[in-house]
Amino acid sequence: MTAQTDHSDAALRRRRRNLLLTACTTLGALLLAAVFLMPLGYGAVTALKDKDGVSDPNGSLLPVSALTFEYEGETLDVYAVPMPGGGERELALVEPGRESSTFVDPDAPGEGTIAWEGRWRTLEPVTGLAPQWGNFAEAWETIDFLRLMGWTLMYALTTMLFTVVSSAVVAYGFARFRFPGRGILFGLLMATILLPPAVTLVPKYAVFLQMGWIGTYLPLIVPQLFANAFNVFLLRQYFMTIPKELEEAARIDGAGPIRTFVRVIIPQAFPALTAVSLFHFFYAWNDFFEPLLYLAGNRDIVPIGVGLSYFSGVYNTEPHLILAAAILALALPVAIFLVAQRVFVRGIVVTGVDK
Amino acid sequence: MRITPLFRGRGAHAARAIAVGTVAALATTACIGGGGSSDSGRVEIRWFVGMGAGTDAPTIPAQEAVVEEFNASQDEIELVLEVVDADQAPNILSTQIATGDAPDIVGPMGIRGRSSFPGAWLDLTPHIEENDYDLSDFDQALVDFYRIEEEGQIGLPFAVFPSFMYVNLDLFDEAGLPYPPQEYGAPYIDADGNEKPWDIATMTELAKRLTVDADGNDANSPDFDPGNIVQFGFGNLHADIRAQSTLFGAGSLVDAEGDAQIPEHWVEAQQWYYDGMWKDHFMPNGPYGESDMLNAGSWFESGNLAMGNTHLWYATCCMGGFEGSWDTAAVPSFNGTTTAKLHADTFSITKDTEHADEAFTVLTHLLGDAAEELTTTYGGMPARISLQDGYFDRVGAASFEGQDINWDTAIEGMSYVDNPPHEGGMPNFLEAEAVLAEYGTRFTQEEGLDIPAELEALRADLQAVFDAA
Amino acid sequence: MSDFTQAVLAARRRGGRSGRPASPMQRREARWGYAFISPWIIGFVLFWAVPIAASLVFSTLDFQLTDPDATAFAGGSNWERALSDPDTWSSLAATFRFTVLFLPLSLIVALGLALLLNSKYLKFTGLFRLLFFMPSMIPLVAGILIWQQVLNPQTGWVNELIGLTGADATGSDGIRWLDNPVLVLFAFSFIGLWGIGNSMIVNLAGLQGIPTELYEAAQIDGAGWWRRLRAITLPLLSPILFYNLVIGSVLVLQYFVVPWVLFGASGRPDGASRFLLVHFYQEAFVFGNMGYGAALAWLIFIVVAVLTGLLFGTARYWVHYGTERS
Repeated sequence: MTAQTDHSDAALRRRRRNLLLTACTTLGALLLAAVFLMPLGYGAVTALKDKDGVSDPNGSLLPVSALTFEYEGETLDVYAVPMPGGGERELALVEPGRESSTFVDPDAPGEGTIAWEGRWRTLEPVTGLAPQWGNFAEAWETIDFLRLMGWTLMYALTTMLFTVVSSAVVAYGFARFRFPGRGILFGLLMATILLPPAVTLVPKYAVFLQMGWIGTYLPLIVPQLFANAFNVFLLRQYFMTIPKELEEAARIDGAGPIRTFVRVIIPQAFPALTAVSLFHFFYAWNDFFEPLLYLAGNRDIVPIGVGLSYFSGVYNTEPHLILAAAILALALPVAIFLVAQRVFVRGIVVTGVDK
Repeated sequence: MRITPLFRGRGAHAARAIAVGTVAALATTACIGGGGSSDSGRVEIRWFVGMGAGTDAPTIPAQEAVVEEFNASQDEIELVLEVVDADQAPNILSTQIATGDAPDIVGPMGIRGRSSFPGAWLDLTPHIEENDYDLSDFDQALVDFYRIEEEGQIGLPFAVFPSFMYVNLDLFDEAGLPYPPQEYGAPYIDADGNEKPWDIATMTELAKRLTVDADGNDANSPDFDPGNIVQFGFGNLHADIRAQSTLFGAGSLVDAEGDAQIPEHWVEAQQWYYDGMWKDHFMPNGPYGESDMLNAGSWFESGNLAMGNTHLWYATCCMGGFEGSWDTAAVPSFNGTTTAKLHADTFSITKDTEHADEAFTVLTHLLGDAAEELTTTYGGMPARISLQDGYFDRVGAASFEGQDINWDTAIEGMSYVDNPPHEGGMPNFLEAEAVLAEYGTRFTQEEGLDIPAELEALRADLQAVFDAA
Repeated sequence: MSDFTQAVLAARRRGGRSGRPASPMQRREARWGYAFISPWIIGFVLFWAVPIAASLVFSTLDFQLTDPDATAFAGGSNWERALSDPDTWSSLAATFRFTVLFLPLSLIVALGLALLLNSKYLKFTGLFRLLFFMPSMIPLVAGILIWQQVLNPQTGWVNELIGLTGADATGSDGIRWLDNPVLVLFAFSFIGLWGIGNSMIVNLAGLQGIPTELYEAAQIDGAGWWRRLRAITLPLLSPILFYNLVIGSVLVLQYFVVPWVLFGASGRPDGASRFLLVHFYQEAFVFGNMGYGAALAWLIFIVVAVLTGLLFGTARYWVHYGTERS
């Protein structure tokens, strides 16, 4: 009897402790995420402001606009004006002046203007939340969003597929087979990421020019068929953590290297393969300089990264439109990430079962 | 305006062979296989846009229309438009030139863009002579603007961008101040009817009254809070030391012997700008100038700058959607001299083009039949005299419908252009520019500098760069 | 055992025994090895070999991008200049200063976030994974635009947040993130940590490969969180940590895009943002002096390669591969 109480007491304590830990961890993560995403918040808010709202020195954090009032063909801002006789009235500013201004009562415009002594800059504007959803439409139309998306998706998905498959194959070669020159070859592979990429830009361009590939997606896509050092290195590291017994068991069952790779290694490495796919997808999604260079300014086929640059001219930028377009462009990757996450979760299950 | 080519005349034969062995070999074969003529048997001419106006989203359709129209009008040449992000354009152009994949025509392009690629441009003189091209519709001085010693006639005038003062009328009304004069030589008449010469001193006074903090105090008030300014009186937009100082008179950082110098009146100008930012606060310093409040550099269109000095291109690039009311004003004088700096744009043909004749045909089309359309798109005044008539009516109708803007100020300003030009060449141009940029950063970002000492250091740094040329 | 240096050493050992013919099994294994890596070898020959060789040749030329016809042979003068250029040394110092700050910071944060996201005490893991990864999806142009404004001393949210605590952070006498040679390194770090998503996901993938039985066994033995981290997580994650360390070092030593977009080649403030690659890029592309630029790039390559080689050298002391457990 007492033993049982002790037991349920302990269980209760454990459960309470777990609950507390869960609450603290989740709350902590939430706080951390809030700080972490603060700049993104700025971006989102800016995307919802109009151009004047972005540069308003008294601007609020939120995309609010002063309430306005149409008077004699002019759009006037409404302020909360303290009246000499006491009390406060919401009036529209007709003519601002340094030390005295004239206002009009939006409820009774027929009564004419009201002179007011004081500095209008010290008045609180009467504001309402006025998100400029139109920015998204404007961004969408200005740069022909759907076409950009189509090319971007094509580019990101094909190169993702190519690089993940080829990199996995090459990484398996480096991770599991012994052959003369392996160290040298791996060093050479690493060298391709140690040498600043910009220095090979000009000769690379010359190579693609000779192939007649400039102005097409070929220089951006074809090289991905032949593995990429970053991905090979990551997958090699991951493959090397996979216990060898699994492969030996497969080999005893008569599986050749290809079968072992497909049946044993690939399922084991699902989380890492997903990670590599994601990186590559987002890298390609936001790729800017290389498409700009190799597509030779051909506006009809550029991806979104290049498209965004049309909002920033030499002397002026449209921050609200760049950010609106960036947020629009985010929608698809977010969806893809959410789908990929399921794969991630499945990845754990697979490894859990196999081990 | 002498540009010294950096490596001209040093090329030994052996070295050239090596160069050919690496890049050029690839490039030449590529040119045979790659560019050149298109499938239709037409000669392909590539037009590269990105070294000046023409990369903003709204300007692109008009340029595409010009290309389409040109291609439909004849069957010899296939014109191809390449629009490249302005920040990356120099890199991409240099990569293309280095690999022998240079575009045929580059432009519109200012003097700076042209100076950044010394030796890359084709001398047009033989083509002008061969085609008997009529230059009489251009101001001869403007044609000579593009005649560079050792390089020849590397461009022809396309558009000019006079500078003037952009005035935010609402902010003047709010302060109860009369507007600055729009005619050169006219005085400023203040609120009490007093006439004052329209010079730097008068403008400074105005600017201080037009600089306001969040509580409504102006910069003259003892209660003024320089940490919380919401409106500035004056700013020289997108200007480096040379562009800024030209307000005090034209000058050059290169003396007659090719040595570095800081003209006396530019020292005065720099001190005035520096005090304006850090002591009297009527000009935006670095932190203010880069903030959203002043549109991250495009100050005047934010509506929080009362007077901005810049060029005509600013009207079409940035003022189309301006919600307040604005107008032009004359550039104030300094010590009795008025200087309204000038920008001028050109199209150039690259030296490496395979089809110089066809490129010249396109060039003359862009400077001729298409000039009316293109100058309106880019917001430049046509350099072709016969097109200047009615130009501002077209611009007004296109971008400023219903607004009464006095464009005569812009035209009149052409009589006060800076000579020598503020964007003129310097020995070792790109490295000299980098030295100026470094000085400019300290100037706008750091308080408490000793400007004469800074300028002396700048002169020494420039001299070192000039000597290395 | 199977890291880079080991492999090199092994290759050398094999070379020493080259007189002895390899067994048919070894030959078969080698054939399969070559077959698996062949895609990369083909790609290397097609797309890398010529550009890499060409860039090495460039470093011996007087090669101006805008005037390729005037190219001249320059011998070792570019290399001499690269070594005697004070900007080379000051940019090397600036790069190391930033590396020392950012590399450990980014490794710790990436691991910490991954541990948090892998914690069984965290609810809504899917959402949090997305939230922490989201900044990595933002196009760089937009990201930098955001940070420039968030860090603006006059109107930026960061200073206004600090201002809420009562400190006067705004204005030209406030906290000037981008204009103080020390603070700017923190500003770069913030921006860098914002894009930590990739390393975080790599760690997460690694954590998920660790068999849960090991933890269960450790828990039965009464091992606390810290001991489980030291005894199980870190050793089993070490190949992934090693990857993050190597790639992180390479990327931070070649740190370029953010300082370039923010400050160009100006080195503002006081040369603190003139990193190695900024110096290279200014010479090679802004000044168009590709001959000198190539010499600088190869110098950077040597610096990065030596450091990476050292990292590979340390690997045998702390990186544990699953293969060894058998």
